[in-house]
Amino acid sequence: MKLLHEKDTMTTEERLQAVINLQVPDRVPCCPFIYYFAAFYAGITVYELWSEPSKYRMAMEKCLNELGPWDVYYPVNPRYPELYTFIMPMKAKWPGRELPVNSIHQLLEEEVIKVEDYEWIASLNKRIPRLTYIPFYLKIIGRAWDDIGEGWRTYSHMLPRLVRQLTTWRYEFEMMKRKGVTTLYGFLPEAAFDTFSLGRGLTNFVRDLRDRPEAVRLAAEELTEGYAFACRLITAITGVPRVEIFVHRSSNDFLSPKTFREVSFPSLKGLVDRLVADGIRCVLHLDGNWDLNLETLRELPAGNVVAQFDGPTDIFLAKEVIGDRICIMGDVPADMLCLASPTEVDEYCHRLIEGVGKGGGYIMGAGCEIPPNARAENVRAMIDSVTKYGYYQT
Amino acid sequence: MPDNISSLIAEIEEEQTLEAVREALSRETDPLSLVAALRDGVAVVGERFESKEYFLPELIMAGEIFKEAINLIDPYLKGETSDSRGTVVVGTVQGDIHDIGKNLVVTMLRCNAFEVHDLGIDVAPEAFVEKVRETGARLVGMSGLLTLAFDAMKNTVEALEEAGLRDRTKIIIGGGPINETVLKYCRADAYGKDPTEAVRLANSYLG
Repeated sequence: MKLLHEKDTMTTEERLQAVINLQVPDRVPCCPFIYYFAAFYAGITVYELWSEPSKYRMAMEKCLNELGPWDVYYPVNPRYPELYTFIMPMKAKWPGRELPVNSIHQLLEEEVIKVEDYEWIASLNKRIPRLTYIPFYLKIIGRAWDDIGEGWRTYSHMLPRLVRQLTTWRYEFEMMKRKGVTTLYGFLPEAAFDTFSLGRGLTNFVRDLRDRPEAVRLAAEELTEGYAFACRLITAITGVPRVEIFVHRSSNDFLSPKTFREVSFPSLKGLVDRLVADGIRCVLHLDGNWDLNLETLRELPAGNVVAQFDGPTDIFLAKEVIGDRICIMGDVPADMLCLASPTEVDEYCHRLIEGVGKGGGYIMGAGCEIPPNARAENVRAMIDSVTKYGYYQT
Repeated sequence: MPDNISSLIAEIEEEQTLEAVREALSRETDPLSLVAALRDGVAVVGERFESKEYFLPELIMAGEIFKEAINLIDPYLKGETSDSRGTVVVGTVQGDIHDIGKNLVVTMLRCNAFEVHDLGIDVAPEAFVEKVRETGARLVGMSGLLTLAFDAMKNTVEALEEAGLRDRTKIIIGGGPINETVLKYCRADAYGKDPTEAVRLANSYLG
């Protein structure tokens, strides 16, 4: 793999490995989470971005060539809307289908996981413990997308699409590698507990936490072996031994620290431990405020996990509490990328590099995704900051 | 008895609260006093949420219990209503269909005796203007989770200005990415990070 910048002494993959290992790299790596933004920047519709791989690649290359390059590619490009359900197990409205072609997809808080599914998962795990992930998710997809149908119809619809997605990714990751850019992960599941929260609908799930918290906890743990198997298989196909685990609803915006620790965390830790034992590093996408959960995160295996924060968490506090065990990523806020000046973005990034990047173990990035209406000059300022301020003195 | 109901809903005891309400109604307790008791209990829930003793699940459950209890009490009200603290128009702005936060705000405002007109999701600026004109509402609450909501919020503020309604209407905004920077960009009056803050702002503007 070639070096990205003249002053670099590490490849992007070496740099990423170093920060996850909590070692000091040659400089801070940058991983902007770009998807919708690419459509707006390249002048194509959102519908085209995701339904036409060649246009997606054009848009991504335009961003890379004109605003970058950056170190780490963050792939969220489902070729088919149903595949997005693997990240967000919910009904959705999609650009070019239910929404105008240039809209952002939107999620609906409706039940696609039923309360009886907690027991069904337990029975599934008894019969096929390593294979639970696909049947479980295809059941959700069949309910979430009315035009597919359930049962064998979901399988016949989805399996070819899954194969196409994985081969697309394999090709894209190789393409990025040739440009000197490494890829953050080879697969991206939602954490099991959070899957239930999203799929049950929030009010139903709140009742589940009240009326049957043990059933929720156990069902999430029952899925762990199947999740781990799916992660091993899919990362082997895509060629990147890292997994992004979306943890959308375990922050303190949704749960007390006690509920997180007792009901959500066991299955999350179970999955991370299994994957790390197999040599697969984990990136945790931690939306919302995690300030009161940080101590619990210390129980994750040191030097093998990235925690991506999106703004509400005090990232400087996170560095203090978990920075000796967990690599931290983030958190240039969405509103700053949209409304601030490049100078303000530059200053904040400098502060992040000095504070959170101290001693290594840090990846520069936006809080969550780069917003579709981010100012291009602000995105460039964020990417440039790592070569401006991010080289470590040796 | 009403004190008992306040405590029960404050403790998020769903079945016991509803049973207590049924029992009180059977003994011909003044229904408005029961509504007041429920509201007092929800106020305690709000305080516990702010002090981080309670979190979102408790807030949601308090709202659910309140709604169920009001459904039991409604037939006994015979057209009586408790005094409203004021009228509020709430909606998720144009281009955005997320509504968890907005729905919680609506519930909490109603729990706190505000008359709320919920416009739903993907609400055009003109719809906010029309409802403010129709109801005489002096407070508008706008919700948005997407960054694309920033411009929709700004456009709605401008629409209220053009309609000559801005001076007598306070505007509060909320949602994931909303902060001081967005507030200044949209030229709204205040922002809230959670439903209890929305209630506090409503009390300060309309109380």
